[in-house]
Amino acid sequence: MSAKTILYVEDNELNRKIVRDLLKRTSYRLIEAADGEAGIAIALEQRPDLILMDLQLPKVSGLDAVRTLRGAPTTADTPIIAITSFALSGDHQKAKDVGASAYLAKPYSPFDLLGMIRKLLPEG
Amino acid sequence: MDANERDTRVGRSEAIARFLLTRSPLGEVVRRVARLRASVHAKLLGAFLLIALLLVAMTGVSLQAITSVARHSRLLDQARERVDASRRIEQAVGVQMNVIRNALTLRDEATLVGILHDEERFADTLARLERAASPAERETITRIRVAERQLIKTVEEIRSLVRADKAEEAMSLHLTEGQPQYREIATLVTRVVRSEEAGMDRLRQSVEASNQRAVLLMGGFAIAAIFLALVLGFIISWSFIIPVHEAGTFLGQVARGNFGGRIDVPNRDEFGALAERMNEMSRELHQLYDHERMLNAQLERASKAKSDFLASISHELRTPLNAILGFNELLLGEIYGPVTEELKVPLTDIQTSGKHLLRLINNVLDLSKIEAGRMELALDDYAVHDLVAGVLSGLRPLASQKGLALTSAVPDDIPVAHGDGGRITQCLMNLVGNAVKFTQQGRIEVAVDCRDDVLQYRVIDTGTGIPADRLETVFAEFRQADATIAGQFGGTGLGLSITKKFVELHGGRIWVESEVGTGSTFSFTIPLRVEKVETA
Repeated sequence: MSAKTILYVEDNELNRKIVRDLLKRTSYRLIEAADGEAGIAIALEQRPDLILMDLQLPKVSGLDAVRTLRGAPTTADTPIIAITSFALSGDHQKAKDVGASAYLAKPYSPFDLLGMIRKLLPEG
Repeated sequence: MDANERDTRVGRSEAIARFLLTRSPLGEVVRRVARLRASVHAKLLGAFLLIALLLVAMTGVSLQAITSVARHSRLLDQARERVDASRRIEQAVGVQMNVIRNALTLRDEATLVGILHDEERFADTLARLERAASPAERETITRIRVAERQLIKTVEEIRSLVRADKAEEAMSLHLTEGQPQYREIATLVTRVVRSEEAGMDRLRQSVEASNQRAVLLMGGFAIAAIFLALVLGFIISWSFIIPVHEAGTFLGQVARGNFGGRIDVPNRDEFGALAERMNEMSRELHQLYDHERMLNAQLERASKAKSDFLASISHELRTPLNAILGFNELLLGEIYGPVTEELKVPLTDIQTSGKHLLRLINNVLDLSKIEAGRMELALDDYAVHDLVAGVLSGLRPLASQKGLALTSAVPDDIPVAHGDGGRITQCLMNLVGNAVKFTQQGRIEVAVDCRDDVLQYRVIDTGTGIPADRLETVFAEFRQADATIAGQFGGTGLGLSITKKFVELHGGRIWVESEVGTGSTFSFTIPLRVEKVETA
């Protein structure tokens, strides 16, 4: 069985590196996108098994991206973890409304994120 | 008379005044009096002088009437005297005629001598009558006098004849000369009497007419004076009442916050000056109001700029801090390889300090949002147990470092609560964080009670305590009980004020009980289920 693929859509390189390093010791394969537009394109093209979506993104916002992906048949059922900013109360509700499977508020503990990923997408 | 009745009465009299002011030339007169360039003092003095003049004129007219009545009564008296005098003469003539006849019959010379003596009195009376007599009457009197002299002559002749004992001749002379002369005198005297009586009648009529005229004049003058005084009073009082009413209306507008209006009164007296002052006041208030509005707008802009700045700077600060905390946690999680126990200590310190810094930054961000009125609660179900456990596990490392016991007392039967668990966690974090900071030894306990669907959280410490006079201000922004505390313990003084705001957003309240040297207990209540959010 091939490794399960996770797409991480996040514009901050350091944040991406944290998740990259976190998943290095696991069997998950990570693919990355730096903005909402690229995130949608890669998700539709590569059909990841799980998507980590930051809600504050350039070009297309994370909420709009989640909405678009939920509308597409290939990604309608893909688990999506929305990563919200602590600063913006109400993001949780909005993330739920557009169809995110779970949410995690920034700043999050990397190991909490890993736990959430494992719950939604058990390692092979 | 109750207030209502008085009001209607006032209303009615005022309605009459309004009618007179708008529908009669009085209104124009009132405005002209108001426009007069004279002081209120001068106007009032003028009005009173006019009324005084009316009184003087009235007195003059009365005096004149009284004088005229007196003069007329004197004239009447005189006329009556003259009528009496002329009648006396008439009587005297008749009497003399009979006396002479009797004297002749008795041949009594003495009586005749008496008659001759009477002549002087007769002449006197005539002379009195002649004074102030009409020309026609004077002529009659002259004729009487002539006839009288002839009669006297005749009587003297008769007397001589009587003395000579010639009775027959004396009688004959009396009959032929004396009697016709008497008759002539009697006729003339009667004419005088008639004339005097007619004069007196005329005088009486004229006096009556003149008295009637005097009464009419005085009555008319009195009515005119009262009317004039009333009109004058109306004019002068309304020339003052109008500006007072206008001022009342105008000040009412100002009182309602309607600045910048103008009061317009015709007066050029003190009331005019007062109105001008009010206009100045109104202008000044309007300018002040505009200025204040401008300042407010500036303040609002500045406040918003500050909030925006705080929001953006705290966001900018958080991004690298996230990375620091994330990588540090990966290091501690031995993602990059094994970490010696020695190295774990400083790495844990980095983690603790980083989280502390993050809390501070979050506080600044929260405050900026609260101030901008953009703080919203994210309501969801939460478990009080988990919430308290989370707070304790977050702060236990810090408490352990200081050797403090950190415990909780949460009953098992607390139902699932509804509210913003994240914010309530923040509140507890702030309170417990403070407790750890200000407690040197002893213990800190987080206790929760649920009574009547209200949760009460208590954070009890055995710390330094807060002096009674500073308990009031601990929840104010940027405030610590003592300025030196900031130096000793650090902190921005934001935690408590933000905690208070969050508690109030949930519809709860917060308070503190403390004793210096013994410790403090911070308590706050939160409804078990928060359904509607208060606006920040």
